[in-house]
Amino acid sequence: MGRIFGIDLGTTNSLIAYSEDGTPRVIVDPETAAPLLPSVVSFPRPDAIVVGAAAKALAPHHPLTTIASVKRFMGLGMEHVTAADREHYVFADDAKGVVQFRIHGRDYTAPEVSALILTALKQRAERVLGEEVRHVVITVPAYFNDSQRQATRDAGRLAGLEVLRLVNEPTAASLAYGLDKRNQGRIAVYDLGGGTFDISILKLHEGIFEVLATNGDTRLGGDDIDRRLAEQLLAEVPATLQHDPEIISQATAAAEAAKIRLTNHPSAALELHYGGLDIVKTLSRDDFEGLIADIVERTIAPCQQALKDADLSATDLDEVVLVGGSTRVPLVRQRVERLFGRQPHSELDPETVVALGAAVQAGVLAGGHKDVLLLDVVPLSLGIETVGGVMERIIERNTTIPATAKQMFTTFVDNQTGVDFHVLQGERELVKDNRSLARFTLRGIEPQPAGMPRIEVTFMIDANGILNVAACDQRTGREQSIDVKPSYGLTDEQVEQMLEESFDHAEADVSARLLIEARNDADALLRATRKTMASATVEAQERGPIDAAITRLEAAMQETDYNRIRELTDQLNQATTPLAQRIMDSSIREALEHKRVEEVVP
Amino acid sequence: MGSTPTSAAKREGAMWPARTRVSCWQCGSEHTEELFCPACDAIQPLPEEADHFQVLGLPRHLVIDLEALQRRYYELHRRIHPDLHQTGPQAARQASLRNTAAVNRAYRTLRDPIDRGEYWLALLGEGLGTNNNRVPPDLAALVFEVQEQLEEMRAARHGDNAAALRCKMCEIRGELAERRGVLVRRLQDNYASWDADATDASRLTRELKELLSALAYLGTLMRDVDKELES
Repeated sequence: MGRIFGIDLGTTNSLIAYSEDGTPRVIVDPETAAPLLPSVVSFPRPDAIVVGAAAKALAPHHPLTTIASVKRFMGLGMEHVTAADREHYVFADDAKGVVQFRIHGRDYTAPEVSALILTALKQRAERVLGEEVRHVVITVPAYFNDSQRQATRDAGRLAGLEVLRLVNEPTAASLAYGLDKRNQGRIAVYDLGGGTFDISILKLHEGIFEVLATNGDTRLGGDDIDRRLAEQLLAEVPATLQHDPEIISQATAAAEAAKIRLTNHPSAALELHYGGLDIVKTLSRDDFEGLIADIVERTIAPCQQALKDADLSATDLDEVVLVGGSTRVPLVRQRVERLFGRQPHSELDPETVVALGAAVQAGVLAGGHKDVLLLDVVPLSLGIETVGGVMERIIERNTTIPATAKQMFTTFVDNQTGVDFHVLQGERELVKDNRSLARFTLRGIEPQPAGMPRIEVTFMIDANGILNVAACDQRTGREQSIDVKPSYGLTDEQVEQMLEESFDHAEADVSARLLIEARNDADALLRATRKTMASATVEAQERGPIDAAITRLEAAMQETDYNRIRELTDQLNQATTPLAQRIMDSSIREALEHKRVEEVVP
Repeated sequence: MGSTPTSAAKREGAMWPARTRVSCWQCGSEHTEELFCPACDAIQPLPEEADHFQVLGLPRHLVIDLEALQRRYYELHRRIHPDLHQTGPQAARQASLRNTAAVNRAYRTLRDPIDRGEYWLALLGEGLGTNNNRVPPDLAALVFEVQEQLEEMRAARHGDNAAALRCKMCEIRGELAERRGVLVRRLQDNYASWDADATDASRLTRELKELLSALAYLGTLMRDVDKELES
């Protein structure tokens, strides 16, 4: 097995990291040195897909063909889509089951869009490290249910990755924190990200990170703050334009900028200049805090519940750790401090700490961190539907995973050969108030009088927090076949089909990517060469071959033959080698050699 | 570590199945249901019918030192957890997953004195039965009082004397907690008796059932009171 990478697939930003010599490192964009990849996918034309910062820049101009915050839709069905969602996205409304976005007439599920983000991260790591990325650990919100976890795993599969483990985000963050900090004690991890909120209470004991309780809200985060501020701007917009997707998108971008400024400034301007509109509103920190107080307040009840479930009070905690970009908001910090009665920690960058933790866990799985072990829990109770629409719990929330439960099933009429059961997740009494995970059918039961067959079904929640179901006929001892119909997920067949379809598109996608990369590399070398030529005394006989190579390369870059661009880039590289060797100025040499390192990376 | 479950002396009589000899899936050498093969150290699948004590490698004692139990739990995790067998063969991964799930379940059950007692009854083939809903005689008066107070409190939730009723309810809660404490101590005595000399098993079983019934009843009552106090 090659190296295992850790991925933080966030609502707003995503990161990829790895461990080397026991130290986790985030892989930065080779061009911009940015560690964060905005989790935005844009389809500016039917044949073009853009991911990351470029896609985020396109959002205000292509609002309905740009998807941000796709994570909010993972593992959800069309019936969970809200009116507010419809202002930002176009959905395939005729579709049933899982959420599907309609873009240029093609439908995309949330795992497919997430797979594009994962692919961009994979390519970044491959370019920087020059090795294939295949095995990964992906983080998920601790409060993600089974459908949301399965959707994340499907996204990994669609991106050509083997997802060895899903790790809960707050737990991953605690790993990154715990490594170089205290080795004993109880900590609370408060994780408010772009779209999700988690609170986890952990007990640390000599390298064992034991989660005592977790709680949260998978639809609560910085996005809600942005929308609240955007509403302020939109209220000033003429009613006919208030639902204009481009204006909403512009207002949201302005809201995000104002929110960020308010972290360190007493006031900020909320500005919208678009299509003849010129709206400027000044927002003081007090105004801002008044506007978002109820959003921040929504994180409190989950914290109290988690403490209660862990059988602790706030004073029993030794530390409180802040994770997620939204914990930069001063009001959030104050509220957390007031709730727990202590100043929270935020020494590590709240936006990279989860990815670092994922890399630590990747190291554990690879056998490199023998002294660290995570014992996580299932966030929501698992149950089956019984008579009268009541859910019978079979695995309680906050049970340490892997966890199992067994249940006996039988038939109700003579010679019945199939038995159905319905699996749910949630804390409420009634089936209708909980989230449906899947319907199972036990098939091929031998015809017998009613009540005679004894089929034992084993429910196993594995270390990813994902449910596995197996059944055994107690009389014959044989394994019983089961059909699974996920309520809000893709079946294995659907994932396979998507993979096949993506192979059909793959060649075109790959060519486009190779061309872009060849052009980028050629461009980088051209810039470095010009810089060298300008800053050093260059003999005429040296200059000739280099100039010729530059001219040929520039011409090729206008065309789309990436092989020719690569070839001519190599030639230019060779042409500059004697010059580089002659110039003893180490900094210039470094510049050139640095470019060559990138050059050898495919 | 994981290779020393119950010694023969602790397996009292016919109540516990004798351990059988099994073969290691990796090297084929025989062993007596150890967690790790004594010959090649490969993780071994726990037998399907292993009880919670066997899973944790503990003597079948009802009195349990919770700190020692937790140490044992962590020790086992450090050897069997799926994270540590990720790069191993399929059989090792499977055994690791199933054993860890069994250890988690065993720990969750045994660390709680009430769950532990109920599990003990289940091992004996005894359940608390359906007459569990019967009010335990020496709790009857208290139960009656609590139910009455709850009714009164619900009726007067926004009335003038809501605060006074609330105060009374807090007092009652204290009384319930005290009763519970007494019962838990008696439960510990019962456990000690089992461990010391289980010859009068039928008397101990009857007593254990009574105590668990009373505790279950008190538990429900306290939850109702808490719910009312929180609302």
